[in-house]
Amino acid sequence: MNKKLIFFAVSLIWIAVAVGLIISKQHIIRTGKTVLLETVPVDPRDFLRGDYVILRYKISSIDLQKTASERSYYEYGRKVYVKVEPGERSWEATAVNTKMPVSDNRVYIKASVRSCYNKKLELNYGIESYFVPEGVGKGIEKNMQGNKSSVRVEVLVDSSGNALINKLVAQ
Amino acid sequence: MILSILLSLLTWGVIIFVIVKSVARAFKKPSSWLQREVPLWEEKNIISKEQGDAVLSLYKLKRVVAGKKMDMVKVLTLVGVIFVGLGVIFFVGSNWQRIPSLFRTAMLLAITIGTLYAGYIFSYEKDGFVNLGKSLLLLASLFWGGTIALIGQIYNIPTSENWYIILLWAFPIVPVALFFKNNYVHILASVLFIIWNFLYSGSNSIANYYYPLIIFLFMLPTAKNLILTRRINIIGLLLASFYCCFYKYEWLSLLISVGLLACYLAQKEERAYLYTACLSFIFWDITYFTVRQLQPNIYFLLPIGYMLYLTYKDTLEKNLVFCLAGLMIGINLALSSFSRMFNYPFDWLQFMVFQSFLGLSIYSVGIVSRRRGYLFPVIYKMFGYLVVFICVYLLAFKALLGEWTQTVNNIYLIGSLILTGIIALFLIDAVKCGDFKNKSRRIELTAILAAFAGNLVLLVSPHTLLLNTIVMNSVLVVFALCNIFLGVELKKHHIFTLGIVIFALFIITRYIDVTWKLKEKSLFFIAGGLVILFLGTFLEKQRKMIIERMKSG
Repeated sequence: MNKKLIFFAVSLIWIAVAVGLIISKQHIIRTGKTVLLETVPVDPRDFLRGDYVILRYKISSIDLQKTASERSYYEYGRKVYVKVEPGERSWEATAVNTKMPVSDNRVYIKASVRSCYNKKLELNYGIESYFVPEGVGKGIEKNMQGNKSSVRVEVLVDSSGNALINKLVAQ
Repeated sequence: MILSILLSLLTWGVIIFVIVKSVARAFKKPSSWLQREVPLWEEKNIISKEQGDAVLSLYKLKRVVAGKKMDMVKVLTLVGVIFVGLGVIFFVGSNWQRIPSLFRTAMLLAITIGTLYAGYIFSYEKDGFVNLGKSLLLLASLFWGGTIALIGQIYNIPTSENWYIILLWAFPIVPVALFFKNNYVHILASVLFIIWNFLYSGSNSIANYYYPLIIFLFMLPTAKNLILTRRINIIGLLLASFYCCFYKYEWLSLLISVGLLACYLAQKEERAYLYTACLSFIFWDITYFTVRQLQPNIYFLLPIGYMLYLTYKDTLEKNLVFCLAGLMIGINLALSSFSRMFNYPFDWLQFMVFQSFLGLSIYSVGIVSRRRGYLFPVIYKMFGYLVVFICVYLLAFKALLGEWTQTVNNIYLIGSLILTGIIALFLIDAVKCGDFKNKSRRIELTAILAAFAGNLVLLVSPHTLLLNTIVMNSVLVVFALCNIFLGVELKKHHIFTLGIVIFALFIITRYIDVTWKLKEKSLFFIAGGLVILFLGTFLEKQRKMIIERMKSG
């Protein structure tokens, strides 16, 4: 097989994969609605990508008795759509659906079920890591200590419910 | 309980096997002076190749194929490339903020494609730089990983989705490995797929069926002539199958096992396929047990039976060890299922006695194989002996004998009684056929009868703690003496030395057993040290003296 052709084919695949990944994320940035979420953080170190802050959100834990929900139990790994609405300090979860409602202008964030026990639903939104310059993580963590988080996260959500962290917002 | 014992034994078995195999391979040298010299004589035209073959066949030696030597330049380029690649990944990891993120990505992608181009140019367009070209292709593949990691970092892809990053790294480098025939990149992709498999299963808590499919359909067929790459993938599959035991992915381990077996049937010269298939079927059996504890896995008999058939058909003695281990594990898991079904509690003592009878049965198969001229009598005997010795050694501890739960597990009891009958029939048949007529065979029979009688005492009367302790310790001494006498009789000093080792082990453990409870630990260590010193010197002196006498005739 022509090696030059292989080189071009491999280069194209690599560029396509990289650009595709960027475009899929840029789409969220361009079309996403801005949502402000409250956090509870930790600060580990990822072997692959430097310092980052692990973020937990107030909406990561939902009480199914107090929130409108299609079901009273969700199995592990199930995809759900959480309806969020602006609250006093930040946006709050108001409903949990198993399907994305069509022609609804409200904001839904896609999540996967981490656990569901005693009507407490624990969720992952895929926005639990925020990468920061080396050494900065500790400072951010310090700012976030205590029960009342002093840092919130600005998240962009597209029409399919995919979320992306835009920035950390200090109070 | 049984499962944890079996799993830990199996884990250690696999680890030790892999270490021993790797170390042995690393230090493998021609086993004789002739194997080294014959190729040299042929090279200098002192003898022809046919004459060389004739000389080697006279001494039943195989021709040693000289391993490819890695030249210094190749090593240095490779090390340099790995350093630069790692440097770039760490550079990305340090999250350099001064350059805009999209520009950083574009820059890294340009460097990656540039390196790929340089690799292509040096490999195929310029003469004399093949090694540099290969190394640059590897470097480009490492840079590609850096680029993907950088994009993941810019868009804050969570660490729980690292499997996604690894997959996007691994898949696009496969064409480089295949079409540029780059072994280094093939190895990199194989290792990345192994990491991806574990990250994917760990993050999503589901069985990763894509992994074996990718390996069986792409990686193994394309690594047909690349031993290292092939073995890395085989180990990856074995690890994936082993992982299934802990997460109850029974269908995945079955898929891997069947796939490995099919690979062996398609490429019989790679024996690792069959060895790992055998181990993988054992993992499947364990997984099946963890999933449905009340259902004995009768289907396991099919693959293990077929493995045994292949072991004999293709004369693979190492595989017999795996098959026997698999049979033992299979029988124990089945008995454990039956015990749970009928609500019999687990009893340590009965479990050990049953294992000992199983070992004796396997040894008996070795005796029959020897008499009838079947294959592998030594493997059966060695395996059986090892099992019996471990059981007898453990049962010689008073504390372990006292673990009897006061309740009888009829399943293990019936199992032991059936084995007792089988062993007795084997022995009667062997005695009738004159198997134990000469002195060395009579010594062997003494050891077998001692173990048989000892186990029988434990089976019939598990509550007589003192009697059982004396009986099992006596069996251990008989083992040591039989090895010593057999070694002298056959003039085989390794058997003799084994007897000495068993004897020394017996003395030391009994000393610890008896004196450990003493309050004065300093006295325990001083006296123990003196006993070991004295015993060691005395036994070594005796051993050397007898071995010298053996040699002199």
